[in-house]
Amino acid sequence: MAAAAALPGVVPHAAAQSIPDEGSFSIRYLDYRDWQPGADRMRVRSPSFFVMKPFGGSWVAEGSLVYDGMSGASPRFYNTLSGSSGEGVKDYRTAGDAKLTRYFDRYAIGVGLAGSTERDYLSKAASLDLRWWTEDRNTTLAFSFAGTSDRINSNNEVAVNEKKHTLDYLFGITQAINANAIVQSNLTYSRGHGYYDDPYKLLDDRPDHRRIVAWLTRWNQAFPAQDAALRVAFRVLHDSFGTTSYMTEAQWVQGLPQGFTVTPGLRYYTQSAADFYKDPPLPNGFVPGEPYATDTRLAAFGAFTPSIRIAKTFADGWSADLRVDFYRQKSEWRLGGDGSPDILPFSARWIQGGVSKSF
Amino acid sequence: MRLHRFTFPAMASTHELVLGAVDESHARRAADAAIADVARIEAKYSRYRDTSIVSAINRAAGGAPVAIDAETAALMRYADACHAASRGRFDITSGVLRRAWDFKRAPPRVPAASEVDALRALIDWASVAWDERTIRLPRAGMEIDLGGIGKEYAADRVATIAIDAGIANGYVNLAGDVRAWGGRPDGAPWRVGIRHPRVDDASIGGVEIADGAVATSGDYERFIVVDGVRYCHILDATTGWPVTHWQSMSVAAPLCVVAGSGATVGMLLGADAPAWLDSQGAEWIGVDAEGNLRGSP
Repeated sequence: MAAAAALPGVVPHAAAQSIPDEGSFSIRYLDYRDWQPGADRMRVRSPSFFVMKPFGGSWVAEGSLVYDGMSGASPRFYNTLSGSSGEGVKDYRTAGDAKLTRYFDRYAIGVGLAGSTERDYLSKAASLDLRWWTEDRNTTLAFSFAGTSDRINSNNEVAVNEKKHTLDYLFGITQAINANAIVQSNLTYSRGHGYYDDPYKLLDDRPDHRRIVAWLTRWNQAFPAQDAALRVAFRVLHDSFGTTSYMTEAQWVQGLPQGFTVTPGLRYYTQSAADFYKDPPLPNGFVPGEPYATDTRLAAFGAFTPSIRIAKTFADGWSADLRVDFYRQKSEWRLGGDGSPDILPFSARWIQGGVSKSF
Repeated sequence: MRLHRFTFPAMASTHELVLGAVDESHARRAADAAIADVARIEAKYSRYRDTSIVSAINRAAGGAPVAIDAETAALMRYADACHAASRGRFDITSGVLRRAWDFKRAPPRVPAASEVDALRALIDWASVAWDERTIRLPRAGMEIDLGGIGKEYAADRVATIAIDAGIANGYVNLAGDVRAWGGRPDGAPWRVGIRHPRVDDASIGGVEIADGAVATSGDYERFIVVDGVRYCHILDATTGWPVTHWQSMSVAAPLCVVAGSGATVGMLLGADAPAWLDSQGAEWIGVDAEGNLRGSP
């Protein structure tokens, strides 16, 4: 996901108007798995490393590396394979990014590069981001621009040297309301063209371009007397595939004695189906030459993600945290319409932990 | 209840056995018994083993009848049924074509039509005299082999032995021929993917089975390419030449021996395969020569 982190709007810029005082590094480990009734689907184990260091009084360099070891991923969705040896094959992905930011008195300019490689997918991205802030630093305006170039060579030779190019734009404003509240609002626009099909799905034929408009607003409210903070977020997204989605999320950050914080959270997500998504069974609704997909990620559904994070800061700049997210998706949880029929519930969980140190 | 996975070599390939059991030792005992039976079947029916019954039958071609036991007679009976169903294209006496078709030769070579035709005189299951106790190949030089039946029969035996040993859920994958039973321990069916005929580790789709088998026959296991033309090892016994209509054919059936022979017969029947497989009530997925997916309704 390091390539994605270079994209505008992924990493919040709130309260990042000034150059950090000290560097930091962190080492993290993520264990992800997802499943449907009766079938374990995919497992990812992913160590990652991040480092950030200010230097020369006005520069900040940062970079990250992540390695994903995947097993059971599509198309290896099956218990075993008929036709040749049924040995499971593992896949992997390596990704990294680097970013350099120069801080001036009232603005900052950052440039970033990111890349990721896996057996069937190569992605390269470059980004530029600009921020201006008012003299009292209560208001920050942000503009980012990123270009991503992907190359797809699917293992089944359905996609051979296919390409996808994406440009992303972000306009954002961050406003401190008072000493305890900050609000951030970002409008992002993405336009891409190229290969959007899933080469591992039969009859999957999607449009060769995609436009996405998304609007995200966050509100962070601190409650100093309770040593707590409330974070809420809302996002609406519409894309040219015909999908409209809404996400709303709330987290409560509670400080505890001895440097602990505990952060329970709940996220709700709902989306409408893409225009060319067809209900199962394949090939229901297939018309040669017209876009067609049965990928349930393009279906209409709703999903809840409860999460909890426990963190502790130690005396000498060290901190550690552990976070668990549990995702549960069902058709009938869609808001504002019927969910897509005949889709099994889908579940996933993330367990991630890490340590970081300021220096 | 956990799933215990065993891999074992036999018949020049590596196989996979997955058994649901509460404790490892229970699964281990069942696996040992099942794997031992695979070795027994290989020793008994491999044409590569001088001591096998198949080698004895082949050595006696043109001579005296060879005594066979009930298990061998049952396999002959099944081979006879496949011969009839395929209108002679599936014929366990067609192995003599190996003398003309060498898929390991470098550089690869396509035999002359005369070489193939000369061997066709030795392909004639209908002329084989057999009953429940003896078998006799009428002409010297004739031979039988149980490709398309023996390995699949072994997969069914593995299931029987494991079930008898108290393993209620499991599957065995003998080099791509899968026999499953009992579904997954959580009640869901096993999901068996179908290998992509042109890409090693990709699948073209799959089927769900609780109790049953899925077998695949394809043109990609052994083949030669000469002047841009692919010649695969699945040879039509009535012509002596490789089939070309399907890249692969997968069949689901209650028993692996039925699925396996169904897949092979499907490859051999070419354009007639869909109608025949449908008439058998088989669930099937085929990839035709152009790479298009076809399947049972």
